[in-house]
Amino acid sequence: MNQNSFSPKARWDRFEPDKTGFNPDALGERIEVLALFKNAKIFPKSFVWNNKEYQIETITYNWQERLGQAQVNYFSVLSAGQMYQISFNNSTFRWQIDKLI
Amino acid sequence: MILHVDMDAFFASIEQAINPRLVGKPLIVGSRGKKMHTVVCAASYAAKALGIHSGMPSREAFSICPDLEFIAADQGKYIWTSEQIFDLLKGYDLPLNYASIDEFQLDLGSYPEPLNLGKKIKEQIYANFNITASVGIAKTWLLAKLASKLNKPDGLTLIDDSNFEQILRKTSLDKLCGMGGKIGANFMAGGLKSCWDLYLNLPEFFSQSYDNSSKSDENPGKSSERPKSISHSYTLPETKINPQVIRAWIRLLSEMVATRLRQQNLVSATVHLWLTGPEIGNFGAQKTYQSATNDGYEIYQRSLKIMAKSSLKNPRIRAIGVTCGSLSQGIYQPLLSEDIRREGLIKALDRINNRYGEGSIHPAITVLTR
Repeated sequence: MNQNSFSPKARWDRFEPDKTGFNPDALGERIEVLALFKNAKIFPKSFVWNNKEYQIETITYNWQERLGQAQVNYFSVLSAGQMYQISFNNSTFRWQIDKLI
Repeated sequence: MILHVDMDAFFASIEQAINPRLVGKPLIVGSRGKKMHTVVCAASYAAKALGIHSGMPSREAFSICPDLEFIAADQGKYIWTSEQIFDLLKGYDLPLNYASIDEFQLDLGSYPEPLNLGKKIKEQIYANFNITASVGIAKTWLLAKLASKLNKPDGLTLIDDSNFEQILRKTSLDKLCGMGGKIGANFMAGGLKSCWDLYLNLPEFFSQSYDNSSKSDENPGKSSERPKSISHSYTLPETKINPQVIRAWIRLLSEMVATRLRQQNLVSATVHLWLTGPEIGNFGAQKTYQSATNDGYEIYQRSLKIMAKSSLKNPRIRAIGVTCGSLSQGIYQPLLSEDIRREGLIKALDRINNRYGEGSIHPAITVLTR
């Protein structure tokens, strides 16, 4: 195996939208989530945001990112025709809504 | 045989997998959030069909298609997906090369049914990530990469003895890896239009990459050979005049280059700095030193000395590049206590960045680049 040529960890020049100034799309609000933890994977089923419950119909994509010691699991989900990005921080156990997609 | 996996419009495809509303639409992924002041770092196939391509200023892309969908790049998800695909390919237990964020090469050796394997890999990638890949299979990495480009998107192409001449005849030279720039333009100006023309005129080029395939098979990827130089460059969102900010970018690029040198256990004796801007034009100069280094701070200091050669005081700068050449294996043993301490510091920083991602700990001045 040869990994000399490319390092996927090279993140010096990564774009960090939230750190470049005011981002009107960023929500970062805490939400309550009902989720299934199965086979070392997380499947959010519904979430409550601003006292309203949203049933998750589809998880279209999920990915992970390390932020310091924490690992954050991101999910793009569809609920009632609207796409949302939500995330779970496995260090703080906080679920939050990141943005409307 | 080499099997080359090339993801189709990788960043744009991931964004379309995330948001199905974008599927089939012309979409660009911009390297920054300001949609009219960035460059296209990925374009969907619908956008490519309109003539929009990577590297194009976003303003130009919007002038071609005002209704273009725009997403600011979020490298975390692309890197994660790339790593997952790499892990998936590791499952085949074949020599594997991580060629770039969206390219992977498997050395199949004498694997009995390469086309079936290519099909299976494509299916697995689609099932796991809902994105497509194009696969090329050939005797060498160069031809396998070419094969992967021939039937994009979602292609599966085998180049073997039976179709070698036919494919090279109908493939224009600029499609061949390494022929897209000045070298290819020079060949084309000299009358070489197709890959077959190159094969007829420079058989040694292909004898390395095709006939002597057993030699190449030892190195499934070109990258397993020692590189001639390592460089990083960056185009700023707008022209900058603040010397602190310009120095911060040079420091960042120097650190990025130095990190890659250390990852490959290389040291560099030559530093080349180039700057572009309205007053300075295309400034570029290099200097070779007796002592080779892979310390980002040292490369930065050498770059500053090169920059001082420019007669202009505080010119406006738009793009910056740092290149390290004259590479050799890093066998340098520090003798002075200050150098030993410095090396210990660099090792500690590398350990932190290897664990938490590059740039997790960084020189303070580079904060000005964020």
